[in-house]
Amino acid sequence: MSSEAEPGAMLEHLFRHQAGRMVARLTRLLGPAYITLAEEAVQESMLRALQSWPYQGVPESPGGWLFRVAHNCAIDALRRNKIFGDKTDAIAAEISLSSKALPADPELEEQLGDDELRMIFMCCHPVIPPESSVALSLKTVGGFNVREIARAFLADEAATAQRLVRAKRLIRDKKLTLEMPRGAELQQRLDTVCEVIYFMFNEGYSALEGEALVRHDLCQEALRLGLLITSSSLATPAVHALVALMALQAARLPARTDEAGDIVLLESQDRDLWDPRLVALGFHHFERSMSGEHVSEYHVQAAIAATHARASHADSPDWPLILHLYDELISIKNSSVIALNRAVAVSKVHGTAEGLRAIEALDHNPDLRNYHLLMAVRGHFLLQLGRLNEAAHCFRSALRCRCSEPERRFLQKKLVECDPPE
Amino acid sequence: MAQFMLLLYGDPARWQKLSPEEMQKATEKYLAWVKKSVDAKRLSDDAGKVIHSHGGKPRVTDGPYSEAKEALGGYYTIEAANYDEAVQIALTHPQVEYGSTIVIRQVYGT
Repeated sequence: MSSEAEPGAMLEHLFRHQAGRMVARLTRLLGPAYITLAEEAVQESMLRALQSWPYQGVPESPGGWLFRVAHNCAIDALRRNKIFGDKTDAIAAEISLSSKALPADPELEEQLGDDELRMIFMCCHPVIPPESSVALSLKTVGGFNVREIARAFLADEAATAQRLVRAKRLIRDKKLTLEMPRGAELQQRLDTVCEVIYFMFNEGYSALEGEALVRHDLCQEALRLGLLITSSSLATPAVHALVALMALQAARLPARTDEAGDIVLLESQDRDLWDPRLVALGFHHFERSMSGEHVSEYHVQAAIAATHARASHADSPDWPLILHLYDELISIKNSSVIALNRAVAVSKVHGTAEGLRAIEALDHNPDLRNYHLLMAVRGHFLLQLGRLNEAAHCFRSALRCRCSEPERRFLQKKLVECDPPE
Repeated sequence: MAQFMLLLYGDPARWQKLSPEEMQKATEKYLAWVKKSVDAKRLSDDAGKVIHSHGGKPRVTDGPYSEAKEALGGYYTIEAANYDEAVQIALTHPQVEYGSTIVIRQVYGT
C-alpha cells in the first residue's frame, strides 16, 4: 500500500501489484494448499471495487481498502466452505487480525515483501517444472491472469490454465510450505529463482511484436521481483548483477524499434531515448554486485550491458573489452547463442572475416539449425565482405525460419541490399 | 433541461474474467465518466426485495427480480435537452464498451 498522489487517483498497476501481495499474504494465512481460495478472495475484492468506486468514489487509501475487503472475503469463504473444520475460527481470527494492519506502516510493508518472497521461493521449488514456476509466479505474486500469461508466452490459454492447475496440485500433494529453505538448499533455490526471473525478463525482452504491452509488463515484473530480493536479507552479489543486467537492458526498450515498429540496431539507436532512470538503477546495482568473489553469468552479462551503456555514442563501445567479456561468459556458460554474440564482437575487434570464421563453427550446431539470427548475422558479415550472392542466400534461409514481423521486414530490407539495382 | 435516469444493467460474471490490471482500467474509465457528468448512485450488493401482489395481497420476497442474468448495478441521473441528447451522453459510458445494457428513462419532477 502506498500513499496516493491525490484522492481518486490510483497508482499505475495498483490492482496488479496489490493482487500479488494480497494473494501472498492470504496464502500464508490459509496455507499453500489453498492458493485458489486466496486468489478468489482477492479477485472478489477487486470486483467489489469495480462495482462501488465508480459510484462512491475512490477511497482515501485504495490499496488499504482492497486489502481489508480481500481479507473479509477470505473469512466469508472460509466460513462458507467447511474444509477447515474446527480450525476455522482460529484461522478466521488470524485473518481478521491481519486485516487490521495499518496501511503504509513500514513494518507491514516489510512483512508483505517477506510474504511475496516466500511465495516466489515456493513457486520455484524443485518439484515444480521450470515453465510452471514462471507461470505460477506471475499468477500469484505478479497479479497476472491466465489470459495475460498465455498471451505473454504466445501460448494456448487452456494449456496455460492446465499448467497452473497441475502446479497447484503439486503444491498440495507434496505439501510444500512457505518456509524458506536453509543453508545450501537456500542458495540452490535462490539460483532457481534468479533463473526464473531472468527467463521472465527475456521472454518479455525478446519479443518485438504482438502483445507489446503485456510483454513490456513481463520485463517490469521481472525487474520488480529482482528488486524485491535485492532489498531483502537474501541479496547476493549475483542478484544485484541480475538486477543491473535487467535494468540496463530494459533502459533500451524505448529505442529498440522506431515509430513504424521497425527494428533499430543497437549501433543506430538514439541514446536519448534510453531511460535514464533505469540506466542509473542498473549502474547502482552493478556497483553493488562487485562485492563478492564469485563471478556469475549475470555479472558478465551486466558488464557487457554496462560497457554498451557507458559508450558516449554508438561507434565507441569498448569492443576489445566486450570481446574479452564474451570469452569470460563462454567459460562460465558455453551456449551457442552466446557464441553467436561473441562472433559479432570478434568482427568489431578483428574484422568481418574473423567474425565470419568465428561463426563457421556454429554452422552445424543443431541448436541453431532453425535460428534465424545465425543466418542473419552470417548474411550481414557476407554482405559487408561484398559476397552478395552468399549473403542473399543467408537472408533467404533466415526468412524461412520462425521470426517476428519486424524481423521479417528487417531481413527483407537486407535482402534488397544484396541485389543492388544495375 | 430535462432529467434522465440511466439504469446500468450488467452481468457480474462478465467481470470475473478480467485480470486485476483490466479491472483497474475499467474502474478508471467509469470514474472518468462520472467525473464528467453526474450524480451517481450505486445499489447494494444483495439481491434486494421484491413485492408481488396476488389478489390484492402483497407478498414480499427476496430477489432476484427475474430470470435475467443481468442485474441492475447502479444508476445515474443526468440532465439533457431530450432523449436524443441523453442517448448521446449515455453512449459515451464505458458500460457500452464492456457489452452491458443501459436503460434510459426520463424523470419528471425534481
